[in-house]
Amino acid sequence: MLALAAALSGGAGFVLSPAMAKTFRVNVVADPAQMDPITYSEIVAGRILRNMYEGFTVITDDGRNVPALAEKWEPLTTGPGFRFHLRKGVKFHSGRPFTARDVKYTYEALLKPGGKGGLNATYLNIIVGAKELKDGQATELAGVKIVDDYTIELSFTKPDVLFPIYPIYYMDSGIVAELGADWMTKASAGTGPYKFKQWRRGVSVDLDANTSYWGGAPKIDGVSFMIVPNADTALSQYDAGELDFVDVYAAAVRRVLRDERYAKELIRVPRAQSTYLGMNQNLYAPFKDKRVREAISLSIDRNAMIRGLYGGAAFPLNGVVTPGMPGFNPNLPELKFDPERAKKLMAEAGYPGGKGLPPVDISSTEAFKDEITYYANQFNRVLGMPVNVKTVERATFIRAMNAGEVAFFPWGWTADYTDAAYYLSQMWYGPSPYNRPRWKNAEYDKLIDEALTVADDDKRYALYHKAEKVLLDDWGMAPVPMTASVALRKPNVKNVTLTPFGFSLFSKIEID
Amino acid sequence: MLRFIVGRVVGLAPVLCAAIVATFIATRLLPGDPVAVMLSDHSADVQMAARLRAEYGLDKPLPEQFVRYIGDILTGDFGLSFRYVHMPVWQVLKDSLLISPLLALAALALALPVGALAGVQAAAHRNRFQDTAIIVVLVAGLSLPNFAIATFLVYLISVKLNLLPVAGWGTFRQAILPVVILAIPSAAYIARLTRTFMLEVMQQDFVRTARAKGLTNRLVIYRHAFRNTLVPLITSAGIIFGGLLSNTVVVETIFNIPGLGRLAIDSIFARDYPVAMAVVMLFVVFFALINLIVDTLYALVDPRVRDGAPA
Repeated sequence: MLALAAALSGGAGFVLSPAMAKTFRVNVVADPAQMDPITYSEIVAGRILRNMYEGFTVITDDGRNVPALAEKWEPLTTGPGFRFHLRKGVKFHSGRPFTARDVKYTYEALLKPGGKGGLNATYLNIIVGAKELKDGQATELAGVKIVDDYTIELSFTKPDVLFPIYPIYYMDSGIVAELGADWMTKASAGTGPYKFKQWRRGVSVDLDANTSYWGGAPKIDGVSFMIVPNADTALSQYDAGELDFVDVYAAAVRRVLRDERYAKELIRVPRAQSTYLGMNQNLYAPFKDKRVREAISLSIDRNAMIRGLYGGAAFPLNGVVTPGMPGFNPNLPELKFDPERAKKLMAEAGYPGGKGLPPVDISSTEAFKDEITYYANQFNRVLGMPVNVKTVERATFIRAMNAGEVAFFPWGWTADYTDAAYYLSQMWYGPSPYNRPRWKNAEYDKLIDEALTVADDDKRYALYHKAEKVLLDDWGMAPVPMTASVALRKPNVKNVTLTPFGFSLFSKIEID
Repeated sequence: MLRFIVGRVVGLAPVLCAAIVATFIATRLLPGDPVAVMLSDHSADVQMAARLRAEYGLDKPLPEQFVRYIGDILTGDFGLSFRYVHMPVWQVLKDSLLISPLLALAALALALPVGALAGVQAAAHRNRFQDTAIIVVLVAGLSLPNFAIATFLVYLISVKLNLLPVAGWGTFRQAILPVVILAIPSAAYIARLTRTFMLEVMQQDFVRTARAKGLTNRLVIYRHAFRNTLVPLITSAGIIFGGLLSNTVVVETIFNIPGLGRLAIDSIFARDYPVAMAVVMLFVVFFALINLIVDTLYALVDPRVRDGAPA
């Protein structure tokens, strides 16, 4: 048995490490798919990278965008674009200073063919010369001008007031020369409060505190993102003190909400995910009638859903923009459950008691099977609508939705940056492929086009509210309850929480 | 003897080829497009999708993909993982490679003595209280599913008593519960086998002779009877090891151990074909090796197998 223990420790990467006193341990659902800010495209990597890398701005816990690597910026006078004034005295994890050269380097790395830029590269498409660089016709990004070490000018092909808040992480331009092309397996190249220590695949990603962080050194020694795919395992690890903070996955949410023991450690926030029931008018003729769409919305008992289906782990949503998101409209009227009016509207539309309605599938992925079963039953009972339930493999389903091939479905769109434009300009804007139910309205599109040129936040938000009202008045979709993010936090841990956008920043965490 | 082993190794080749073809076809038949999985919500980004498809060779017709895949296997790197960006499959696998066989081996090392001892005890007290009690435990060990026992033990030992870690991998303490849980059904199986073998042996003349000589019960059982059950026990250990290897999938999932079994499941869900296929092939190799060892053991014991005469 001893020999076996020795074999185990030699062969399978065993390390005998005593638990460190001040490491913050939190769970993530899977291994990240990548650990660099260029190819990065998915949510787990995002949660980890966010603590190592920074952009021009950063999201505060209450959902505001505040300056980070850029101290201030102003629009260019010569055409669309910005002049950014970079923060001085910021050092990368390597010790090299952060300057305008690194900004240009990051953009080029994201756009260069073969550079394998991830999803965030699309935010750079508006910079002059981006297309030429992507196509290999240019070697440099023409629209970027380095004025001096701490001033950089970006020219755009069209105005975009939101550019400063786009999630672009700036990286150290000297890292490849120092550590080679696979530098991301050895170090991090950011400016953030933590730096990369190691990634043990299937076990954890470990970060060390960056003691020379410009925003003040963290008060703990490091962070461990423990890779725990199973909801119950994560909860047991929290119970046993192996995690300081547990992100409770959907499968364990009911159990956690019901258990009195957790009441004082519970954090529950609405997700920054705009949830809706999509009705594609091109695919199911009765949806062309606004009365039918309104009747659908009226026959959803949202409060019963929140209590029953979600066991309390959900919040009502009355529009497109989720609470906490800049541009949210708190004055939207509550969406009512009114079966009588729904029936009346259906009769007016020529379908009394559902007579004459062709059958329709309500479809979604396995994860939404309870929801679609509820809806099918509800529409059948209240409206007499012949609705069948259908579940589809996720990637196939998403592709079908993006192609506008799904008639009737519940879905959600998760925000990648903090401005209501993320929802409004992608989910319901005419030309967007993510306008999955293919609702189209010229007035709406015009309002969105206009909003994206208005730099003043309040004026822009006013335009958002107008556009949102156009959509709601037309019953272009039915907003449905947003599920909650649920987490538990040990009483000895301070200054970390859950926000609608995920974990709060870990830079100020304290562990007693 | 050498000829026998060489013959068996050569015989592995068609098995491996069949496994390669079968896994290739199976992964391509799964619904779901790996590029769509990579892009998730953003799969309408056609530029990005086209780039990824070209990068991973998924824009090529299936026969060409298959030829490329064979090439990747021959060069030994198994191609690039779809799930881990720009990581060769070999790099994804290498940390997991030894974990599952080691878990199985550790469980076997635990199950063999425990099971054998229980079996001997039961046989020695046939039809008396000890026997019945052991059989009840055996039936429970064999019929309770692994994950149910695991959940119960984790709750009791890790959460309530806080004696061992709930899950994870990296320390010796973290390996104890998974190995024990993996060993339970095998120990029960071994105990049942041992009991049956023992009862058979104890009917035989030499045992009666040993008793007639006036040896103590203990000596009769351990020196004479038990020794004779060792041979069939050791040959069945190979088959038991194979079973343990498949069961690591369950234990690795419950205890969050980054072994091959969990990797297989994760990669199938992520449509990471290259990793899934490499894991399946590794399992094929493991099983083939176990069979080879078992056959060799049989051949050593029984000359008829070795010489190719009808058994």
